Amino acid sequence: MARSRIFVARRDGRIEVRLNDAGREFVREQFGRLRVAEADPQHAWRGSLDQPIDPSRADAVTSNAELALVTAGEESLSTGEAWAWLTSLQLALRACAVTSGLMTEADVEAASPERLVDVVNLQALLFDLAAALE
Amino acid sequence: MSTLRSQSTSDAPSTETPTSTRESVATKRPWNVVVWDDPVTPMSVVVVIFRKIFGYPTEKATHLMLTVHHEGRAIVWSGARERAEGYCVQLHVYGLQATIEQDA
Repeated sequence: MARSRIFVARRDGRIEVRLNDAGREFVREQFGRLRVAEADPQHAWRGSLDQPIDPSRADAVTSNAELALVTAGEESLSTGEAWAWLTSLQLALRACAVTSGLMTEADVEAASPERLVDVVNLQALLFDLAAALE
Repeated sequence: MSTLRSQSTSDAPSTETPTSTRESVATKRPWNVVVWDDPVTPMSVVVVIFRKIFGYPTEKATHLMLTVHHEGRAIVWSGARERAEGYCVQLHVYGLQATIEQDA
């Protein structure tokens, strides 16, 4: 049976969000963790958010995560909001992978299903959102 | 370095490139934006990000994504240092691992 799409590009240019309550709670939690990590240098996710070249990046990421968080309950997103979601979900995915010790393909293959739950959920959201933004 | 800056003292025509030209060539070597593979980012996400940032057609973006996936890294853009740094920052903003390096 084909899996129904989570994000659907509408004719009016907006991206429809077909997340259930649990899905909404999941993305809200991820966006919230990202916002906390940006403000807290000691946060577990912080290491994967810091990059070598980037004096101006923090503000841009902050606004993306903030925009994603405030639109987490919306039924549909503008293209700009959808990109903020994609950016934030991708950062959350990378942070989640790094803090779970998933640095290589071998790490991922060896990981238990329980350890991969958040990673797999984030990948599914990103996969669908990327398709809607094509 | 002395070997680059010395002038020939013989009457024979020098085969060395003048210093100013060498420095000019050195500063004109392009800077490469390199994207590195990671084990979790979906391939389709990398493609849409390349298209968004660089404006590449799907075919080129897909080719670069596959190069990253199979070879561990790919040069996704080359040119002036300032623009390379700007692209690198944008790639970081979108959650991809990227660095810049001067062309060898």
